[in-house]
Amino acid sequence: MAAPSITQAPRPLTAREVDALSQRQVKKHDVAIMLLHWFNATVWLLELATGTALLTSSFRVAPWWYIRIVQGFFQSRANMLQFHIAVGITWIVVFVVYGTFGFRTYLKKEVLQREISLDGDDFQWLRVRVLRLLKCSDESLPPQGIYNAGQKLFALMVYAMVPVIMITGLIMTFHLIGTAAVGWAAAIHFAAVGAVVSGLMIHVYMGAVFPEEKPAFFSMITGTVNEHYAYSHHFKWWKEVSGVRAEILHESGPEASAALPPDTPRKQETPGEGEKQQ
Amino acid sequence: MARYAMVIDLRKCVGCQACTVACDKEWDVPLGFARTRVQSTGIVGAFPKLASGFRVAQCNQCDRPSCVAACPTGATRQSADGIVRIDRGVCIGCGFCVEACPYDARYINPAINQADKCDFCAARLERGLQPACVTTCTAHAKYFGNLEDSNSEVFRMVYEKGARRLQTARVAIGPNVYYLGKKQDVDLVFAKFPPRAPRMAASSEFWSRLLKPLVLAAVGATFLGQAVAFFHQLATGESKQQNQEKT
Repeated sequence: MAAPSITQAPRPLTAREVDALSQRQVKKHDVAIMLLHWFNATVWLLELATGTALLTSSFRVAPWWYIRIVQGFFQSRANMLQFHIAVGITWIVVFVVYGTFGFRTYLKKEVLQREISLDGDDFQWLRVRVLRLLKCSDESLPPQGIYNAGQKLFALMVYAMVPVIMITGLIMTFHLIGTAAVGWAAAIHFAAVGAVVSGLMIHVYMGAVFPEEKPAFFSMITGTVNEHYAYSHHFKWWKEVSGVRAEILHESGPEASAALPPDTPRKQETPGEGEKQQ
Repeated sequence: MARYAMVIDLRKCVGCQACTVACDKEWDVPLGFARTRVQSTGIVGAFPKLASGFRVAQCNQCDRPSCVAACPTGATRQSADGIVRIDRGVCIGCGFCVEACPYDARYINPAINQADKCDFCAARLERGLQPACVTTCTAHAKYFGNLEDSNSEVFRMVYEKGARRLQTARVAIGPNVYYLGKKQDVDLVFAKFPPRAPRMAASSEFWSRLLKPLVLAAVGATFLGQAVAFFHQLATGESKQQNQEKT
């Protein structure tokens, strides 16, 4: 009798399986990605801090006391703007260099294939996620790849808005095209940043506060996540990377079998996925 | 503190443009632009009742300047002495203030790609000099001084001789350039060169009226949603919540 594999679809795991999976780490991010992430985070923090303090009159979004503090820190508004521009241009240069040299490794592989392409499961995930949030459904979430559909949507918006922010910033800094263009660039710069920030808040909350996503937060520091997290949140990706590791779970033998719900379809696994049933 | 004002005696102005040239030289105003200029009404009326006059146009350093309210970065500000100044380090040259000025006193200086205008020769005032146009005026038609000083010439001209501000019922933002002269002459000039309504650049209007509330609403809604989630997390406890999510 073949032991039911845990690789067909995610299912509730036995304590032993959880233990076995939790002890193993899989690599999620390259050092280059982690460095870029924290560089990017620092830039966003600095640019938001100075950018919001730069806007006054009918465009003001920050309270006056905040504007006075930031202005006081930089001694003058002129220094503040200089700083904003200097950091922004550094940001653009780093991303252009990164995009040029890492095009095949990161831009093509990471961004296009894993971060922003949504499949059928992703749309299903979005639907169920929303229904569950509204407490209208208790359907289980469909399995996800290395990034879930919510993360992909946020990534899509960021990849759409970042070039807009960069280009409008350059138009304002170097007074490109003309005076009217500078006015429109300022307005669009603001809107694009606003769109990202509304999503960024969720991104930061999920990473820093939300308990379930803590492994994802630490993966941006260590580069790895434990397999239990990968199994329960990013099942499709876990299947890709875990390879022969699933066999460990077979040690649990009958336990795993008992834990498997009776109606779970026992599909034949396709060869090449690495999992062999005994 | 001083409250600077300028008075132009229209009875003396002969329209020689010496002030325009002096300003041009003092501030290297690029070709095609002017910080101050003399505009002629042309000859009006029918013979033999003909009339004409000149208006000396420049920034009015208004009491309630519409350009300050239009500036998104705070580059245009009004000092305590009433002079509206442009901070060279902060102006991004968006042109919102150019649209906002009802006197068309501003322009985008192509040499620096920033807004530019008359500032009563603030740099000269700091050195104890009068504005270049005042010292140059061939007919001594221009007077400059402190409106808060009752011994000053401008004080007497404004409060005793009845020098008038060029403003209308619709556009009354308190210009600090006054015009003195025979009533019908001043009326003629005022009728010919009334201030236009302040305009908002389309991008400025789109930004402040639509984009800003939209962005604030989106960020606010996200923040609220998160706050709810956070309090839920506080109330439920982390490990319990994790267990719930798994089932």
